[in-house]
Amino acid sequence: METIGLGMFPLLALVILVSGIPAWLALIATALIFALGGIAFGALTLPVLTALPYRVIGLLEHDLLQALPLYVLMGVLLNHLPLSATLFKVGRRALAFTGAAPQLTGLGLGVLLAPMNGSVGASVAMLGRTVTPRLAASGVSAERSSALVAVASTFGVVVPPSLVLILLADTMMRAHTEAVNVTHAAGRIINTQDIFLGALLPAAALLALHLGITLWQGRNDGKGLAPGAVEKPAWREWLTALLTIVFIGGLLGAVVTGSLYAVEAAATGGVALFLFGLLSGHFKRGVLKAVLRDTMAISGSLFALLIGATTFTLVLRAFETDRWIAAALSGLAGGEMVVLAVVLGGLAACSFVLDAFEIIFVVLPVVMPPLLMRVPDATWVAVLTLLILQTSFMVPPFGYAILMVRIHQARLLSNRRLLAALLPYLLAQLVVVLAVCAFPAIVSRGQAEVVAPVEGSIADALAEDARQSELLQSQQIPGK
Amino acid sequence: MLEKPVEDFIEPTAGLGFPPVPDSDMSAQSIGIGRRALARLDRLLAVVMDSGMVLVLPVSLLLFLQWPLRDLVQAYSRQANDLAQVLFALYVSLALSFATRQGTHLATDVLARHLPPAWRQRIARWAPLLVLMPWAVFILAASWGSVSASLKQMEGFPDTYNPGYFLIKFSVWLLAFLVLLQALIDGFAGKRDAG
Repeated sequence: METIGLGMFPLLALVILVSGIPAWLALIATALIFALGGIAFGALTLPVLTALPYRVIGLLEHDLLQALPLYVLMGVLLNHLPLSATLFKVGRRALAFTGAAPQLTGLGLGVLLAPMNGSVGASVAMLGRTVTPRLAASGVSAERSSALVAVASTFGVVVPPSLVLILLADTMMRAHTEAVNVTHAAGRIINTQDIFLGALLPAAALLALHLGITLWQGRNDGKGLAPGAVEKPAWREWLTALLTIVFIGGLLGAVVTGSLYAVEAAATGGVALFLFGLLSGHFKRGVLKAVLRDTMAISGSLFALLIGATTFTLVLRAFETDRWIAAALSGLAGGEMVVLAVVLGGLAACSFVLDAFEIIFVVLPVVMPPLLMRVPDATWVAVLTLLILQTSFMVPPFGYAILMVRIHQARLLSNRRLLAALLPYLLAQLVVVLAVCAFPAIVSRGQAEVVAPVEGSIADALAEDARQSELLQSQQIPGK
Repeated sequence: MLEKPVEDFIEPTAGLGFPPVPDSDMSAQSIGIGRRALARLDRLLAVVMDSGMVLVLPVSLLLFLQWPLRDLVQAYSRQANDLAQVLFALYVSLALSFATRQGTHLATDVLARHLPPAWRQRIARWAPLLVLMPWAVFILAASWGSVSASLKQMEGFPDTYNPGYFLIKFSVWLLAFLVLLQALIDGFAGKRDAG
């Protein structure tokens, strides 16, 4: 019976791709088909599915998910306020001496704003509007500029406190709790802070490498405008840029050091940007209404995905397919690295067709608990997952950031030249991924020291967990 | 990917623009009444959702105030959090159907774009009705006991005993009810893309 649920994945992919209906609808449709089939053939009972409303209530009262509309609000405000244009203007002037000012500013803007922007797609849209025309005006080829925008927009995945990082951290925390409950491993459950801190060093290494590559590529382009030809920012623009950098840096520092919770940081960012818009007089001619409308529409679409995913995973779990996957992974021949490679390879493949949110909400809750039963260092696994997702998003031709960049580019891009522009960045990603693989201490410096299961094998633990679950089901206790 | 770029979302959530129905016979009259009722419902939903858009501002403000209240005032931080939680739940329950109305749900049409337009139109019209109607009815039915008990007791937050937790449970009903109404409007009006 457990293997029946495996069919949900290909059906979901088929429904999403062939019908073109929204992903949340496809998730619910697939769950509905399998739930009805399961009940009709006696493989499922209705009481198990009555947990669904409680799962939805769980989402509505989830503290961390409050950050979701707040991040969206920040992203939408950044799109509607001329902040990114001001930052670009100032950065270009300040970095004129490097000979690669537009490119470096473009990357810097991505690093600064992508974590606040919510999603890769939103960052591509913002950078595409702010950076791409200015790079073109500086004589940078469309392929080089697209590669830069794609790379810069994926920084939101690894630089804390981004929305992707927050949601992934929450999923990892749940998966870790589940893994520890099954294996009875000794140790502390990881939290959001562990993952933020863990991602910091690899993100810094990536930033250094990417800045170096951008500088090298920018100087080789050699077509930049002379420093005198660059528009001089007004003192108010210098002040705005400085305050923005200090403010965002301060928020990042406060979250990383634990002085502010991620939700509070998002709220602070949202309030500050809102006040900026209000005081600078930019909320004119329905701009505020457009901001509120966009925020609600995007928040609704992200939450719909969450609700679709919770429906999908409930039915999957009702078939006990999650246990089957856990058993299959625990029985996989080879060591920890083989299991890790299989799961991360699967995630990389998923990232060619699914957005980060779909992967976090649908795929990770299923594959992460069994992976963490075999590989107990949850922070390390989380950071590797982030790096793999970030890298996959920028792999042409199907990487999500690449697809989004193509949509926003007015002209057709040459695949060969785009790949050539991306190759140094992809190699840098590979170097960091390999370094994190080889030296887990880079990310898990003394955090969440988890000891492997002390008694019995993982298979025994899974069997015991299944027995307890059957007992609960026979008593018809709807879980939350 | 988003069905529409962010810049395109600024159209108002006005009514669907139902064509006038001739009232020559009984069936046409009953269809006309049904369509007029749906059009009114559509306009009502637009008003309700448009008014809910502002909720994100108090949510932001309350969650922002949490840390000065906690670290400086050393009081009312939990109250701010609980109130933000209630407003957040109400906001999300409205936002889901609002996203449908604005066509912002994440979708990919890599293969679907090759389908004949008439097929795509039919899928867009009937899929939400066939999928979301049973889903929403199930949510409403399965949560009936728990939500109605919570509403009767005016249940408070379990950790802080602050009032208002029943509104979070009520939000599930609101969410499912709005999804149901939106699916009915989209299915029978067939003017808006699926979502």
